[in-house]
Amino acid sequence: MTVSTQTVSTIQFPYKRTLGPVMGRFFSELTARRIVGIRSGERVIVPPMEYDPETGNELARDFVEVGPAGTVRSWTWVAEPIASHPLDRPFAFVLIRLDGADTDLVHVLDAGAEDAVHTGMRVAPRWRDEPVGRIDDIVCFVPGERAETPEGEPGEAQEVTTMEYFSTITYTDVLSPTLVRYASNLRAGKLTGQRCPQCNRVFLGRGYCSVDAIRLGPELDEDLPDRGVVSNYTIVTPTPYPGQKETEPFARASVVLEGDEMVIAQQQILDLPVSEIRVGMRVRAEWMPEAERDAAEITSKGWGTVAGFIRGWRPTGEPDEPAEQYMNRVF
Amino acid sequence: MTTRQKAGETRETAVRQDSDIAIVATAQLPAVRRQELTETEMLLMVVDEALGKVDLKRSDIGFSCQGSCDYISGGTFSFVPNLDAMGAWPPIHESHVEMDGAWAMYEAWVRLRHGDIDIAVAMGSGKSSTGDPAAIYPLELDPYYLAPLGLDPVSLAALQARQLIESGKSTERELAEIAARSRRDAAGNPNQQVRTAEQDVDKLLAEGYLRNPLRRSDLPPISDGACAVVLVRGPRAAELTERPAWITGIDHRSEVHNPALRDLTDSASTRLAATRAGGVAGVEVAELMAPFTAQEVILRQSLGLADDVLINPSGGALTGNPLMATGLVRIADAAEAILADGRSRTLGHATSGPALQQNLVCVLEGDNR
Amino acid sequence: MTHERVAVVGIGQTKHKKRRDDLSIAGLVREAAQRALDDARMTWSDIDAVVIGKAPDIFEGVMKPELYLSDALGGAGKPVFRVHTAGSVGGSTAIVASHLISSRVHRRVLAVAWEKQSEGNAQFGLGGGKSGSIGAGGAFAPWIRAYIRKSGAPEHIGWQVAVKDRQNALRNEYAHLQLKDISIDKVRESPMMWDPLHFLESCPSSDGAGAIVLTDEAGGDAAAADGRAPAWVLGTSMRSEPSSFNGRDPIRPQAGVDCAWDVYRQAGITDPRRQIDVAELYVPFSWYEPMWLEGHDIAPVGEGWKMVDRGETAFDGDFPVNPSGGVLSSNPIGASGMLRFLEAALQVRGTAGEHQVDGAKVALAQAYGAAAQYFAMWAVGTDKP
Repeated sequence: MTVSTQTVSTIQFPYKRTLGPVMGRFFSELTARRIVGIRSGERVIVPPMEYDPETGNELARDFVEVGPAGTVRSWTWVAEPIASHPLDRPFAFVLIRLDGADTDLVHVLDAGAEDAVHTGMRVAPRWRDEPVGRIDDIVCFVPGERAETPEGEPGEAQEVTTMEYFSTITYTDVLSPTLVRYASNLRAGKLTGQRCPQCNRVFLGRGYCSVDAIRLGPELDEDLPDRGVVSNYTIVTPTPYPGQKETEPFARASVVLEGDEMVIAQQQILDLPVSEIRVGMRVRAEWMPEAERDAAEITSKGWGTVAGFIRGWRPTGEPDEPAEQYMNRVF
Repeated sequence: MTTRQKAGETRETAVRQDSDIAIVATAQLPAVRRQELTETEMLLMVVDEALGKVDLKRSDIGFSCQGSCDYISGGTFSFVPNLDAMGAWPPIHESHVEMDGAWAMYEAWVRLRHGDIDIAVAMGSGKSSTGDPAAIYPLELDPYYLAPLGLDPVSLAALQARQLIESGKSTERELAEIAARSRRDAAGNPNQQVRTAEQDVDKLLAEGYLRNPLRRSDLPPISDGACAVVLVRGPRAAELTERPAWITGIDHRSEVHNPALRDLTDSASTRLAATRAGGVAGVEVAELMAPFTAQEVILRQSLGLADDVLINPSGGALTGNPLMATGLVRIADAAEAILADGRSRTLGHATSGPALQQNLVCVLEGDNR
Repeated sequence: MTHERVAVVGIGQTKHKKRRDDLSIAGLVREAAQRALDDARMTWSDIDAVVIGKAPDIFEGVMKPELYLSDALGGAGKPVFRVHTAGSVGGSTAIVASHLISSRVHRRVLAVAWEKQSEGNAQFGLGGGKSGSIGAGGAFAPWIRAYIRKSGAPEHIGWQVAVKDRQNALRNEYAHLQLKDISIDKVRESPMMWDPLHFLESCPSSDGAGAIVLTDEAGGDAAAADGRAPAWVLGTSMRSEPSSFNGRDPIRPQAGVDCAWDVYRQAGITDPRRQIDVAELYVPFSWYEPMWLEGHDIAPVGEGWKMVDRGETAFDGDFPVNPSGGVLSSNPIGASGMLRFLEAALQVRGTAGEHQVDGAKVALAQAYGAAAQYFAMWAVGTDKP
């Protein structure tokens, strides 16, 4: 049976950044459609920084209004924007020297076509309709001297102290030959590992010995029992965070496979109230139905998981093993 | 320390002392678009190969240091499994930097200078194939002013290249010539990824822009890879290999982060690091980490390299760019120019951050036989 | 080559809080660094090199943040270096910085470690963004259960450490938690978060930074001559072992034992219990205090909890542990190790203020990370080695 040799995962998370006094002032001014820089010696730095970037010395909070128009100092044309770009149509990234500034500002230019862009051209901001106090309150710059502003006068500057930043990155993880074999065997309801010829330990889903640092190939494959002993556990009271689905206390146990081999960590114990889980308890794997087995959790990082194949472990009812013998085997 | 030679002085006068440190072996996996092995397996292989070249075992190592990056690898604490590549049992003395392996080597060099251990291994590894560098790299920029703009590394390199060209310091033709030369050199280097691409300058110039003024040929590939170097202190180095690549100087420097706040056509930090590392006089081969053609021009000019210095004979980062290992690969290749090719003085360079923000220079020497 | 002697001549930290909503990331890091510079009577231009440490980049969503922070730490034109050794990183940052001096590469080095956890969510970050993250507490709870079972320690030991460290924090104006009414009852009655760990037996999530300025021997001598006693570095060590293999003892990891004895050897310590005056140990969960007392051979195996029980690790005990309030009171993850290291230096300099342990001349600091497999330790002393 074959499995997909790659897994795709997207890590998404909203960050909330606190801005501090200097950036806070810059973003607050943006809400009133004003751009400010900060004086650093003879120079006006835009956007303003808390410190002189050359020396680290703290700057006096001497803000100077600049622009809004400026001159393009460098540019490049993005014909095919990607999702993380600020505009979804062809645009230019530009370095702009705003009038009154002594440094350049990185931003984007909506110029329609590549041949409309050149170094030295004059540009001005296009303001967002409803400012939020972020660098993209300037949606982009546009050719010309005049800022594009929404109807009506800007209100008073709103005090901006935080900034939202949403990060989303998709990773495509290609599985190693060992992991492909491991996942195929799991799909067939078999746990396999490789036994290190040097130290005689078995490792699951790694392809190498963590102690001796030698690669372990398919010739060392060994089927392992899907029965074992609970060596330890914890009962977790879930805390909410983006993506968290657990609401009630849940248990996660470590299971030492029969024969005192590999530990499989963070397992669910089935059909047992969390309060009754014991160290030394004998359990057997409850495999997912074949049609539901899924290798999405198998990745090239980490140490071999059975998630997506084994739903959890069910007590066998046999007498417990002595707890002390197993307790250290957590991971 | 090595008695530093003045320009023109013959190399025979260099006296290697107990405190001198040399690269005695290197290994790298060929850079590929997608490596199916895990980072741990990749590191295991390069460490095996590098140690094997000088007949050392892991138990001989007094210190090791790895360089990798969670965001490139796509996981939290992604370096932790990589520790297993060292066979860390019984426990070992090691460290990790969230930087290119070149900086891991710097830490290993600092550690060796204490004199209580003789052998160290530095590594770098990365699988940039797993994510899209254009989406990931904006995250290394100022999180308030730059990251939200999604300024990707290719666009940034294009802004830099335009300033270089418009300031009269380079031309699109020169950039194409660098691409062509790198591809020609890569054709002979099995470790490089771009080995069969177009090498004719006029044909390259006839291709459209990917990010004006950069064409595809001005850009590096997306690569996975790993590299390891073995550092040895004092007389032990000369016992392990016939002609060690002595580190006569190594230094790294940072400069202002925001690319819009500095002169993008110059690399002051590279120049300073090179000066601190003993200067470029007499350097025959320079392996410069220039993933974009224009950056090679900037680095060469900033270093003041003479016309006869061989630049990136490996094919360079333009033809193989395993992020987090690329810089260490440059140093490894500069070392191999001494270890394998008999050169006498070479330079390896690594960079990190937007538009050459941070730069490391390592000057290496081989003794005359 | 004999090493250059290394002195800690400047120490600074932020007020640690749940959320430092008054500061940017740069502002947070600079609050600590500026205090360390002021303490060292230095300015940014006096510093030769900067070493930055923090835990995973995903916590704040800034990749390789040392790049953005370089300017904030006066890094232009200087070497700026980023260390990441999991939870031990704050300690290894200090060690890597000290090595730049002991190896005679630089003379004055600024080391800064930080975390601004409120920007994101650590539970999320540790869980890789997936549901059902067990968090650090869930990962360590089984080993704590194993320790309790093996040592036969009564359950009040954990509560007692939780109370002691929070009471110590009341002496430390920088500490995050200021639980004036902390008590055994409160700890016992707090929710069971990760059985057997109660909520009040575990560390908070904090924004914070810690910084130190290190110099060579001449710098230390000059500070001493100026009436500002330095802390002399007596020994440093880092040790790592694999996370997971049959035969590993995660309760008393060999890497921790080896790391400690490496430091003891360098510092000339043969009887740590007697020769060390105060220790700052990385105790994010109360039970780790007795576990590390045994894990670093300060107490015999099985006896660490008895030191706690007898009050010997209390502020007025004969082996005070975590007079700062420890990780249990402030936990900006990447900085937590640095806070241990700098508190040890404060103690032997005699500048720990309200939390000064009388007569502290030799102090031990420790940090650990990942699956209790990365260790960083140093010993510092009042007297030049």
